[in-house]
Amino acid sequence: MAASQLLDEQDERENDTYHVMVMVEDRTHPQTTPKGRTHPSVNTLRNAHIDDKSNVSKPQRFARGFRKALRKNQDYISIPVSKPNASQLPSEWWKTGITFIWAGFNLVLTTVMITIVHERVPDKSVSPPLPDKFFDYVPRVAWVFSVTEVNGMILVALWFIHWLFLKHRAIVGRRFFFLQGMLYLYRMVTMYITTLPVPSIHMNCAPKLYDDSHGKIKRIWQLVSGGGLSITGSHMMCGDFLYSGHTVMLTLTFLFIQEYSPSTLLWRCYHVICWLLSAVGVVCILIAHEHYSLDVVVAYFITSRLFYWYHTMTNNQALGSSNNYLNRTWWNPAFNFLEKNVKTTVPCTFSCPVSLPAAFKNTCKSYSKVQSTRDA
Amino acid sequence: MEVRLWTTTDVSDWLTEEGMQEYSDALGNMDGPALLHLSEEDFKAPPLSLVTGDGGRQLLDRIETLRFTSHMKSHKSNNHENSHHTNGHAGIMLANGSVSNGKILNGGNKNGYHSEPVRILIPLPSEQERTPFPTEWFKTGVAFLYALCCFVTTTVVISVVHERVPPKEESPPLPDKFFDLFDRVQWAFSICEINGMLLVGLWFAQWCLLKHRSIIGRRFFFIVGTLYLYRCVTMYVTTLPVPGMHFKCSPKLFGDWEAQSRRVMKMMAGGGLSITGSHSLCGDYLYSGHTVMLTLTYLFIKEYSPRRFWCYHWFCWFLSAVGILCILLAHDHYTIDVVVAYFITTRLFWWYHTMANQQALKENSASNLLSHVWWFGLFRYFESNVRGIVPRNFQLPFLWQTLTTIRVKYSKLDCHES
Repeated sequence: MAASQLLDEQDERENDTYHVMVMVEDRTHPQTTPKGRTHPSVNTLRNAHIDDKSNVSKPQRFARGFRKALRKNQDYISIPVSKPNASQLPSEWWKTGITFIWAGFNLVLTTVMITIVHERVPDKSVSPPLPDKFFDYVPRVAWVFSVTEVNGMILVALWFIHWLFLKHRAIVGRRFFFLQGMLYLYRMVTMYITTLPVPSIHMNCAPKLYDDSHGKIKRIWQLVSGGGLSITGSHMMCGDFLYSGHTVMLTLTFLFIQEYSPSTLLWRCYHVICWLLSAVGVVCILIAHEHYSLDVVVAYFITSRLFYWYHTMTNNQALGSSNNYLNRTWWNPAFNFLEKNVKTTVPCTFSCPVSLPAAFKNTCKSYSKVQSTRDA
Repeated sequence: MEVRLWTTTDVSDWLTEEGMQEYSDALGNMDGPALLHLSEEDFKAPPLSLVTGDGGRQLLDRIETLRFTSHMKSHKSNNHENSHHTNGHAGIMLANGSVSNGKILNGGNKNGYHSEPVRILIPLPSEQERTPFPTEWFKTGVAFLYALCCFVTTTVVISVVHERVPPKEESPPLPDKFFDLFDRVQWAFSICEINGMLLVGLWFAQWCLLKHRSIIGRRFFFIVGTLYLYRCVTMYVTTLPVPGMHFKCSPKLFGDWEAQSRRVMKMMAGGGLSITGSHSLCGDYLYSGHTVMLTLTYLFIKEYSPRRFWCYHWFCWFLSAVGILCILLAHDHYTIDVVVAYFITTRLFWWYHTMANQQALKENSASNLLSHVWWFGLFRYFESNVRGIVPRNFQLPFLWQTLTTIRVKYSKLDCHES
């Protein structure tokens, strides 16, 4: 393969006009290159040409003949593309387990934090809702928040099904849990250090339990089991405004769905649907006056930046450490631990214990369609 | 001397030198140009046919050499672009190397090659191809204008937001963990501002001494501009109440545009510092511009100074950290403002520099998710011609080179403007 490519290059060069310029050809003197006495501009042209011409010898003729023979007897040249073999993408389910525990731990801790912060939220009468530009323009619509939560649940379910069918679900699952854990960790910090008042008068916060630890633990359990959704009735505590956890889930699931799926037309329609679900959900949070605009903006920003940052680090393992500023974050050791053995970009192949229809057998690269028909 | 200017005496002298005295009589009345025009036909007719033994081949060889040598000498000082003599030149040198075997090509149609002149125009490479770090001050100007626009927008937005800040009595300061733990220290905020001014001054002095100041200046303006732009957004969408009861906000000017624009001018002139008395507007809390400047100047100072100046780096870090702590001690910003400002500044700085230092990340590909930011187009405009990591070289600015009394001991100092 390499030889024929090289030959093609030689062929092209022969049709070029540049070889016409220098007409002297002196084969009897091998050392016809008195470099010291030529002009530099002449030297390179002449030397190149002389090399060309003096190479028109046995190997060149042989190669040309070989190429002609090759052209007569072949249909197409198959170029093997190095597929990522299994050793480059090890499963390592135990690491996924660790990140699952990390995400679960952060979720529980967030719930505890919400309970603590709830005690510190200033009363509506003491601290009225802060002025918010979106609220000035759009009055509150009460039922819209359930749209958000329904969209969120749909997206999480879609992502879960999608994840089940991925081939490298250990690696992808690990990433999802790690990022989710990180985002909830950051959220804990921002919720705790400064407490925002309730965004709207309509909000009914549960009464404060000043020292009733038993009651608080019950509340924590209720929140965890309900997933923090108001549909399930577990969203009655206030204070967790900056930043919005609902936006985090909506954005993160969409980003993951988009990243780990093929980019054919059918899948692109699916991406658009998911994007609509996500966007409508986020806007509905604001229409329902359940979060300040700032909460939503900051949540979107942090989620998308963290996602892109992490995935650029994984996709470009060859970045090295000296001029790669991406590894200056505090969670870089954790990243190295998780992604040390993942050597290439994770391809979005699907697999399942039961056999799938052909639509799912495609890999993400469109040229693979040629290969699959030839393989079959 | 050129052959074309030879007289008959020179010709006969040359013939003697070459050991061809037998021709000196026959060619006695030939001067330089005529000699050059000798050809084989001339040797077939008398008087030359009587004198020559080999059909004039040896003499013609020597004349050929002479012709090319003189030709080359006359073109030695010409531009390389004038290369229609390339053929001849190549021919000369080979001929010189192999003059003894007599295989000279007269520039005629030997081997079927054409001898018509081919003009090759070699343009002088532009600056961006000659050096991997072209200066391109125009782009730095664009970045400066961008930063200026963002500063002006920020000031206008602060003025607008000031009108919307709820009064202290209506909306008391929000609960903040740091404020619960530490009481207010009154003079702390001036420490923060002094540190800020020191850091900015140090960075400016360092920037003046850098060799690639146009590229680095461009980066600084772009990042600062973007950070202030983000700040406009976060300030505007939700207005936080004042962090402490000690705040004295200027009275609101409802709809009085003239007074508002005067206020904006005053703020810009003072740089937004309370030391200069221009920090009387409230509402610009999330996120903290002071933290942005302290963090960003420290990051730039550390990035573009030699590694061995660790003492200097630690000093700047100390200034920066103390400044940020003093903001909180003075109860001038919520903790969340400072945390978010630090986070956004560091992430943007590292993001930009990672993309700028890796050629693979400057393209919009599927594996490069860093390119999905909205400012990627602008980034490419600024950094497309910068190839490689900008080295930390120092160079005295042009005006200082005239001061001969300064003796600088830096080993990397480059005294020539390149």
